[in-house]
Amino acid sequence: MKALILSLGFIIGIGWGLYPGLLKPRPLWMRIGLISVMTIMVFLALFPRIAGTPEDVALIYRMGMQKPIPVVCKIDVSKAEKQESGEWMIPIQGKEKTFFLRLTADKLNPADFGNGISLIADLQRGNTDAELRLSNIIQIDPLITLPYIVGLEERARILYFHVPMSWIAFLAYIVSMIMSIRYLRNPSPRLDIIASSSAALGTLFCILATVSGAIWAKFNWGSFWNWDPRETSIFVLLLIYGAYFVLRSAIEQEETRARLSSVYSIIGAIAAVFFIYIAPRIYGGLHPGSADDSNAGPVISQQAGTLDLLKQIILSMAFCAFTMLYFWLLNLAARIRIAGRELQSRMLHKESLS
Amino acid sequence: MMSFFEQHAIYVVLVIALVIWLGLAFYVNKLNGSVKELEQQIKLKD
Repeated sequence: MKALILSLGFIIGIGWGLYPGLLKPRPLWMRIGLISVMTIMVFLALFPRIAGTPEDVALIYRMGMQKPIPVVCKIDVSKAEKQESGEWMIPIQGKEKTFFLRLTADKLNPADFGNGISLIADLQRGNTDAELRLSNIIQIDPLITLPYIVGLEERARILYFHVPMSWIAFLAYIVSMIMSIRYLRNPSPRLDIIASSSAALGTLFCILATVSGAIWAKFNWGSFWNWDPRETSIFVLLLIYGAYFVLRSAIEQEETRARLSSVYSIIGAIAAVFFIYIAPRIYGGLHPGSADDSNAGPVISQQAGTLDLLKQIILSMAFCAFTMLYFWLLNLAARIRIAGRELQSRMLHKESLS
Repeated sequence: MMSFFEQHAIYVVLVIALVIWLGLAFYVNKLNGSVKELEQQIKLKD
């Protein structure tokens, strides 16, 4: 199911990109479609509150942390029991067992709530694993919530931006390779322009993914750069494509430049497959899916519970939106360069006539 | 208002992300129009 949902995002994005043609202007409805999908995706990625289950409170405590965490729970006031101490005990249902929420009258009076109200509240462990204490109410009747991941919390939202940007970098290098192969079979300046524009966009998205990952790493792993196998492989990949642009700028003759950079782009894309998908999985590291990780990472792992349905839908929308954006930018970059080339050749022709 | 955003910092992130995205979309859409116009001018000169 997960593979189907995520593939749907890719397929719609690629379909949007290839219709009505790589270099054809995008009609208004397609542009509105892209802007809407991206806006909805950003909203869904950042608007819902992150909230765990009562089980997460016990897990946090067992890990040696005694802080309150946001938990989504349903409160049924009719089952509340008043203790001799004046506190209230309300049963709340966890994933597998029932917990009890202890409320002091000054914090909250159960009578303030109707029956069966759901809320997100900061809870922490009480005297036993089954007893929870409320420290703050965050939201009443939340529409949707994202799951709480121990150790990641709000930082888990990077998944919807960092992963699609990395995917776009890879897609752009593959498109550049395909256009380079087509150029070598049938030399046309348009194919070379698409190939180099795609490589430039790939490098742009690769830098964006690296920068977003580095900022995240500072808050989660303690420093901006850790020489984790995936960070190292991305650094090497950036050097490879940096050399591609150096090569292009070093050759003045158009045909030679196009032919040599096409060959380089093919080799670069093969290296990209190795550096993005193979090398980081051979060695142990900090990124999910490394050799010493328990699964292949939240996106491609087939283990149950690695990515819940809402996260799958948002991630699929992110893949779709970023793929659409890439194809739109590629379309514009290539069309601008083709128009510029046309104007330049006309000016040269005019000069030669005069 | 300020205390609301202090307590719900993620909404500040949401607003900033939306402003950046919509600004970028507006700029790229405008660029799309300019490229189309340029292509039409080149075609007319043919």
